[in-house]
Amino acid sequence: MKDLLRLRTSLTEEIEALLNEQIKIEAYSSAVYLAMSSWCNRNGYDNSASYLEKQSYEEREHMMKIFRFVNDMGGRAVSPEITNIPQEFESFRGVFELALQQEIHVSSKINNIADRCFKAKDYMTFQFIQWFLKEQIEEEYVARRILELFDVIGEEGTGRWQIDKNIPKVTYGEEAGEE
Amino acid sequence: MQGKKNCQLVEVFKTEQGIVYQCNRQNMFCLEFSGVSSFFKITDFLDFIKKVNKIDIEAMASSTSPGSDIAILMPHYTERCFVLTMTDVLKLRELLSGAKFMLQLNSMIFQCLSNPVS
Ligand SMILES: [Fe+2]
Ligand SMILES: [Fe+2]
Repeated sequence: MKDLLRLRTSLTEEIEALLNEQIKIEAYSSAVYLAMSSWCNRNGYDNSASYLEKQSYEEREHMMKIFRFVNDMGGRAVSPEITNIPQEFESFRGVFELALQQEIHVSSKINNIADRCFKAKDYMTFQFIQWFLKEQIEEEYVARRILELFDVIGEEGTGRWQIDKNIPKVTYGEEAGEE
Repeated sequence: MQGKKNCQLVEVFKTEQGIVYQCNRQNMFCLEFSGVSSFFKITDFLDFIKKVNKIDIEAMASSTSPGSDIAILMPHYTERCFVLTMTDVLKLRELLSGAKFMLQLNSMIFQCLSNPVS
């Protein structure tokens, strides 16, 4: 019997579902960063606002990368439904704590995809997902470093103003030469 | 809808209620259920299986409002409107999950054949 399933796509149902789930997670990240950007903007943290807006844009790029991959492989990429975006945040620091938490969550999701690909012997997707593993190293690093600014500089006096000024300067070492 | 004349139908799975064929010429699936046949493209067929599996049988059973004991599926990719009683849903599920299993098994066999252990 002709193998019609394989004719359509090399993605198994499980991997396709995982990738679609990841599309949704990236879209959610993008939306949350945008909400954070707005919060920072109305609370006077201008640099953070534009930094977070840029982050939001990057997350959308991540989403599109997976979206295109699924379609290119013959799968069915699903335009995600995103709900429950927090619009208010506890504090300036709270924004970045949440950002780090979100990045950690994304990392664990990407790790899981890599693991599932490996088990399903789907080395094409495994190869594709490598880029995201590398990206998460950077994302977690930056989020952690930013959070450290709050301790290093301190929030008293003009501290928050200083922190806001320094946030866009945080970059991952290897990246500087690359981009 | 595709005519049967260009088809080269191979049986995928069969129950008392129906049969799933695949057409090797047109790369489509044919579902024969309660006497009517419908054709599906590969992706649409997989989507249809998902839709049937998503029907909330419990809600159908517990609700007392009129009409809630039938499920209606009108996927945009077929001209057919599936009006299903609870028993129909269960029977259709049985047929479709059997078919899906056979398709996956077939895929696995192909994979093994292209990488024989020497
Ligand atoms: Fe991301
Ligand atoms: Fe990220």
